[in-house]
Amino acid sequence: MPRIGVFVCQCGNNISSTVDTAKVAEEMSKLPGVVLTEDYKFMCSSPGQDMLKETVAKNKLDGIVVAACSPHMHEKTFRKAVEKAGLNPYKCEIANIREQCSWVHHDTTKKIGTAKSIDLTRMVLERLKRNKNLTKISIPVNKRALVIGGGIAGIQAAIDIADGGRDVILVEKEPSIGGNMAKLSETFPTMDCSQCIMTPKMVEAELHDRIQLYTYSEVEKLDGYIGNFSVTIRKKARFVNEDLCTGCGDCWNKCPFKADSEFEHGLTKRKLIYTPFPQSVPNIPVIDKERCPKILKDKCGLCEKVCQPEAIDYTQEDEIVVEEVGAIVVATGYNLMDEARFAPYGYGKLKDVINGLQFERLASSSGPTGGEIQRPSDGKVPESIVFIQCVGSRDESKGVSYCSKICCMYTAKHTMLYKHKVHDGQAYVFYMDIRSGGKRYEEFTRRAIEQEGAMYLRGRVSRVYEKNGKLMVQGADTLSGSQVVIEADMVVLATALVSRQGADSLAQKLGIGYDKHKFYSEYHPKLKPVETITGGIFLAGSCVGPMDIPESVSMGSAAASKVQALFSADMLDREPITSKVREETCNACWDCVTACPYVAISKKEIKNRKGEVIRMVANVNDGLCTGCGTCIAACRSKTIDLAGYTDEQVYAALNAF
Amino acid sequence: MEDQLREKAKELLEGGEIKVVIGYGWNNRKTRITPVFITKAEDVDKLVFNALCVNNLSIYLTRKYKDIQAMGKPAIVAKGCDIKNIVVCISEGQVERDNVHIIGMTCSGVVYKQELWQGELKDNIMPSKCHNCDVRNPHITDSVIGDPVDFTPPEEPAGMLFDKIREFDSKPASDRWEFWNEHFTRCVKCYACRQVCTLCYCERCITDKNQPQWIETSAHPRGNMAWNLIRAQHLAGRCTQCGECERACPVNIPLNMVNSKLALTVKESFGYRAGYDTEEHPPMIVYKPEDEEDFIR
Ligand SMILES: Cc1cc2nc3c(=O)[nH]c(=O)nc-3n(C[C@H](O)[C@H](O)[C@H](O)COP(=O)(O)OP(=O)(O)OC[C@H]3O[C@@H](n4cnc5c(N)ncnc54)[C@H](O)[C@@H]3O)c2cc1C
Ligand code: SF4
Ligand code: SF4
Ligand code: SF4
Repeated sequence: MPRIGVFVCQCGNNISSTVDTAKVAEEMSKLPGVVLTEDYKFMCSSPGQDMLKETVAKNKLDGIVVAACSPHMHEKTFRKAVEKAGLNPYKCEIANIREQCSWVHHDTTKKIGTAKSIDLTRMVLERLKRNKNLTKISIPVNKRALVIGGGIAGIQAAIDIADGGRDVILVEKEPSIGGNMAKLSETFPTMDCSQCIMTPKMVEAELHDRIQLYTYSEVEKLDGYIGNFSVTIRKKARFVNEDLCTGCGDCWNKCPFKADSEFEHGLTKRKLIYTPFPQSVPNIPVIDKERCPKILKDKCGLCEKVCQPEAIDYTQEDEIVVEEVGAIVVATGYNLMDEARFAPYGYGKLKDVINGLQFERLASSSGPTGGEIQRPSDGKVPESIVFIQCVGSRDESKGVSYCSKICCMYTAKHTMLYKHKVHDGQAYVFYMDIRSGGKRYEEFTRRAIEQEGAMYLRGRVSRVYEKNGKLMVQGADTLSGSQVVIEADMVVLATALVSRQGADSLAQKLGIGYDKHKFYSEYHPKLKPVETITGGIFLAGSCVGPMDIPESVSMGSAAASKVQALFSADMLDREPITSKVREETCNACWDCVTACPYVAISKKEIKNRKGEVIRMVANVNDGLCTGCGTCIAACRSKTIDLAGYTDEQVYAALNAF
Repeated sequence: MEDQLREKAKELLEGGEIKVVIGYGWNNRKTRITPVFITKAEDVDKLVFNALCVNNLSIYLTRKYKDIQAMGKPAIVAKGCDIKNIVVCISEGQVERDNVHIIGMTCSGVVYKQELWQGELKDNIMPSKCHNCDVRNPHITDSVIGDPVDFTPPEEPAGMLFDKIREFDSKPASDRWEFWNEHFTRCVKCYACRQVCTLCYCERCITDKNQPQWIETSAHPRGNMAWNLIRAQHLAGRCTQCGECERACPVNIPLNMVNSKLALTVKESFGYRAGYDTEEHPPMIVYKPEDEEDFIR
């Protein structure tokens, strides 16, 4: 006969206000196998846990039901407590009588809540009677990390992990690391030069002994599980031998052909063999294979001729490398929303309507104009600029529902940059609200308005059109209640920040979640903001949602500290709640193999004494199985069981209802 | 056609690789068509093929028939519809494609039950699968017997059964429940439907699992309902509507109506039909990261 103890928690009055906990305990004491029951105020308090431990030891209990809150809250707490009392932790089960009972039944006569709590507890009790002792699964940890995305968030994560003494692989899909921050001119709220604070970080990452850069590379495939991932990386062909290239620049100086520069957002041209920007890391060019005539039709070949170290190699092909790592940080950043969606604003049609990042380039001393604000159409210094905020943000019908969070700040910054460079220029800003929460942020926007002379108009712009060589911006000024038309030389759109193109397909490769905007989902938005639902994969920066540099950097460091924590032990404990195949009845139909979202099931050969394969059966890899139960539903012959939730246990629980 | 078939069978058996030809033959009194297993070249004259060959012989390829499996590599006489079941077996790892020789028979239809035969094949004695057949010229074969049949498969599922399903679907849920309840109550739990089904190849059917016993074994209405629902669900997206279960059922439960309804649902929801692709698993059992449905992400 089992010796089970049932502990019913009142949770202050969280449970006891709608559940008669004493009655629940009394009913449980009548059931076979139950040797004692307790009705207690706060089971999770230290005295509560101590009482649990003592009672288990003193009464030689071999099973425990705690009827309390959700197992998500305190299953671990109570399992630890009984373990200290010498019991297998998996002999302790939780009946959830709070979230699934007392909180949802408001009947203060306690009739409903009590009856349901009795049912719930009895079901768990019957399941518990069939529990087996389980032992944690111990898996080794490979203490190397992979960081995907070399923006500021990814760079920070990589440096922090590397400084902690672990090897890091940093994969960046562009020819250079740096991301969007490398494009910025000066940064709010302190107005320090972005390049000046960014390039040292980029170089630090490049030179760090423990960081290996894979630029112009992408993650193609991920196998494995926490502590033991295997990553397939595609190194796209640069057509330049990285070991030989000295970055002298002879090739791009000589290349006779040009194309729009991606880094400069089309404000200027680059050569067909190029680095995205002068401070690129690594300072090794790539050939634009879509356009280069040598590669397309074997014409030209000038760069090869001028390259002294003979680094040019037109026959180079993509290379596939496989790296083994134990943890992954995803830091793939953001894109700006495609302005083509906003036809009335004339982006793409009217040359002097540009987006925020283009303005950053115009204001940047390393940009196409050397930092002078000139309008793209004719190079004239604009006498007035209209900035339009919330283009696409907070606009469910044409754009996205969310606030892009940083546009109010960078628009204020833009008006100041403009004022500092063109003293008698006039900046106008159309805004919906000014959102400048953050340390020194409100002071910053006030300064733009009050001291730097920017004219703020509250309202939406309806259209931008051209008249006599000027841009006419027509909009509402809701504060004065009038329609206004402002004449401008240039218009800057603060377009919404959106998720990276291809964010969803990367998420699918990695097995992490994303929201409807394709921003990556945190395990818990408040309490686990850098974790994902997949063990060993962490998040950093604006791939999670719009955020500024300080936030991206903090998140990079936070993710790094999670990786360090994971790497602090040689072995990793995993919950033993995994699937088991009963080989005798397996049909080898492989339904479970195709159904398992974690690729945890493989085909195993059963051999006879002579070593001949006589049949095949399914086999679950404990390291990969998350205990999701999908295979169990898929298996027609009911051959698979989940430890802790076996068929028999579930059946017993249902029968107890 | 039969001559051609016997010729082929002879050639295969003499070739040595094929150890048994699974096909159709007459019973002793020459009144019914029954399965025959030809292992010697001199016996090939026992093979016949005609409109009475309604049975789906593919079941003899499964692990249910270990004795046949033990004979060695089989060749099987199969109509297009039968081949669909072989295809599902291949995709589910039950039959290796290289380990069976499919003798595909071109076919103009068969009778639903042999006793209905009066010497002429008419629509009203043909099973639903023949009304909807798109594989009169068999689709996956190693050799083909018979002249190509000229026909146009219906674009939408046609015939009495599907008319009935469409009419039935328009009824209120309570009426539909009552209909099935009445039918399933009559089930005698003989499991003939399971035994005759190629795709019910589990060595231990869930009905035989008694630790715990999810499905009551007695022919009690509750257990009957559970059994019939589970049988149908286990075949959703896999069943090819060959109709053998319904032909086997001693109490005439319209099992193929359940099967056909489920097949329609799977087609509508997932654009998938079982029995055409040896590589594909039914979509409901396959996790793909790029799945359109996002409930699992
Ligand atoms: C106009 C404008 C002005 C701004 N001004 C300021 C400011 O003044 N102050 C401030 O604090 N913030 C400012 N920001 C915000 C700032 O740009 C971001 O906070 C910061 O760049 C986020 O960094 P990140 O690393 O998260 O993303 P990103 O900078 O986007 O970097 C992501 C990196 O990942 C790479 N990547 C993407 N996908 C893959 C993949 N599949 N595989 C490999 N690599 C991949 C990308 O190429 C990129 O290098 C501004 C933003 C805009 C639009
Ligand atoms: S429980 Fe889930 S993760 Fe584990 S083997 Fe089954 S399907 Fe895969
Ligand atoms: S689904 Fe079940 S029967 Fe099929 S291979 Fe997996 S364990 Fe075996
Ligand atoms: S063949 Fe008919 S009677 Fe027999 S188990 Fe199947 S449904 Fe029931």
